[in-house]
Amino acid sequence: MCARNSIYTTPKPCKHLADYKLRHGFNTYYSIRICLKTTPNGRTRVAKHTTKIPRCSFCDRYQGRLYFCLMCSSLWCPTHILLHTQSEKGHEVAIDMNRSELYCCLCCDQVYDPDFDKVVVCNQVKDLPGGSKSKTNGFEACGERSSKRKRLDSGIGLDLKKSKLLVSMRDRRAKSCYPLGLRGLNNLGSTCFMNSVLQALLHAPPLRNYFLNDRHNSIQCRKRSGEKLCLLCDIDAISSAMFSGDRTPYTPAHFLYSWWQHSSNLASYEEQDAHEFFISVLDGIHEMESKIRNSGKDDGDCQCIAHRAFSGLLRSDVTCISCGFTSTTYDPCVDISLNMDTSNLSSSNANKPIKPDEKTGASTLSGCLNLFTRAERLGSDQKLHCQNCQELRDSSKQLSIRRLPLVLCLHIKRVEHSLVRKISRKINQYMQFPFSLDMTPYLSSSIVRSKFGNRIFTFEYDNSNSSAAYEIFAVIAHSGMLESGHYVTYLRLKNQWYKCDDAWISEVDEGIVRASQCYMLFYVQKLLYNEAIEDSSFVHISPRRDPFDSTAGCS
Amino acid sequence: MKHSVNRPPTPDAAEDQGKEPTLQEIINIKLIESGEKERLMELLRERLIDCGWKDEMKALCRAHVKKKGRTNVTVDDLVHLITPKGRASVPDSVKAELLQRIRTFLMSAAL
Repeated sequence: MCARNSIYTTPKPCKHLADYKLRHGFNTYYSIRICLKTTPNGRTRVAKHTTKIPRCSFCDRYQGRLYFCLMCSSLWCPTHILLHTQSEKGHEVAIDMNRSELYCCLCCDQVYDPDFDKVVVCNQVKDLPGGSKSKTNGFEACGERSSKRKRLDSGIGLDLKKSKLLVSMRDRRAKSCYPLGLRGLNNLGSTCFMNSVLQALLHAPPLRNYFLNDRHNSIQCRKRSGEKLCLLCDIDAISSAMFSGDRTPYTPAHFLYSWWQHSSNLASYEEQDAHEFFISVLDGIHEMESKIRNSGKDDGDCQCIAHRAFSGLLRSDVTCISCGFTSTTYDPCVDISLNMDTSNLSSSNANKPIKPDEKTGASTLSGCLNLFTRAERLGSDQKLHCQNCQELRDSSKQLSIRRLPLVLCLHIKRVEHSLVRKISRKINQYMQFPFSLDMTPYLSSSIVRSKFGNRIFTFEYDNSNSSAAYEIFAVIAHSGMLESGHYVTYLRLKNQWYKCDDAWISEVDEGIVRASQCYMLFYVQKLLYNEAIEDSSFVHISPRRDPFDSTAGCS
Repeated sequence: MKHSVNRPPTPDAAEDQGKEPTLQEIINIKLIESGEKERLMELLRERLIDCGWKDEMKALCRAHVKKKGRTNVTVDDLVHLITPKGRASVPDSVKAELLQRIRTFLMSAAL
């Protein structure tokens, strides 16, 4: 277990703790180890007195917080622990029995010591079933993470200089008021689901750069594969059309045809779900590239542009409630589907006082993400086989993100299925979302760490880099009902928001975007976002400067 | 010497002081010994997270720390701050559920 600078700032020990350590070192920490008892849910308690219940040495209290003196193992409640410290010199540091956290009696406050946490955590890992042998408790080899990360970061090639050449020549032709790349898409019969996703995909920095850098050459593709239909070629054609400078709405008919061939089960003039379409397009891209490269790599390592941009890794921990044995699995994903956090909004808590700072009735993205990464107790009808107990047991499951993708697509599940009435209903509840998103609390490193309680011990896993910071660049909003609704995409280009409603593009205020009913949110890693902004070939001229310039599709 | 063998057993501290364990204490001991208390605590934690109580308390603490300044607040301060509000805002449904669990346990333990 190597120590590394982590993003968690280590609080400095108080004078008393520092003195204590100078005098006694780790001796008492180690001697405490025999008293530490780990419960199946991962909490560690100090449990020295197994025969009688722990009570305060002064007032016999057994309820509430109790402190265990590190020097003499006597027990005290918070009110009377000061008496002990005053009467016995050197007995300043104690442990909270239920939480295994250090307390300084003179400062009357919690204190932190990485060495202490190390002892506690080692003990926990050892005690939990399967702990010392397996790697599933978060203690993995050092070098693994950094090499994988390198592979994802490089290779997307923000070779903007090259793309500038391709684009700047046509720039002169367009008397445009909007940034390059903005162009309406005609609706071919309830295809707003397709148009909205295409707008988001084509402006995702990795994909935009991929196509602008001509990474998929149509001529070579046709020569190589001999296939007449290639989704990538079609997307490449749309991308060229979008960035051509021509502002008349484009008709992606060929793409629609290709996609119908690929996903024949969805081929109809009915309205489809945008998220389903998104998944099927990524799947189509992956298939095409696998054919070209003749590689059948699984999603985790795949180098096709769809996976390089969107693929992340989810970690799932299933814990047996009886013994604490945890089994961990990793699954790749191209997006995260979130349930809405509407449970907090019900009025079942009737006698709660009105909260001072909280908005009542607001669903937020962080609420949804918290719900996603919360430990969920599986019902008793879903008992799983525990390897340690060798029988079916109640378990709890917790998800977290092991590796974040370059482009994070968050899908908000707005469909509610009622088993009783056998109908599906759309949830129109407004959900608040931020423009800048920090995904750190939802990473496996944070979630696994929190299982050990309030520790400042450095875990190997800690991502001490900033790749958990994301900026939003596209929002797909849905309005209307389940069967008949409409999708629009809001794009953020160089800090200005644009509404892409099929063929109509317009500049909008960020307030409109915030107030919209979001269905899919697209975030990109902050570094990529900042690089995209700095590119100076896109000069933004405000439409107000050129009143006589009327271009169709640009309102 | 034989006399010492028949000596009554050494009384322990509680009996010495003439303290009878209260009903509450007896129940508590039974709960701890059987491990039921740990399970109940776990259930309570889950329920309080579910209904948003934990988030509320967190928000109260944050607001207090913001007001007083990070270095001027101790754990004891926070505990004294949120204990009355916390106790008052536990939802009735949670209380009812736990009471039911304890009742069930007592009935099974008495048998």
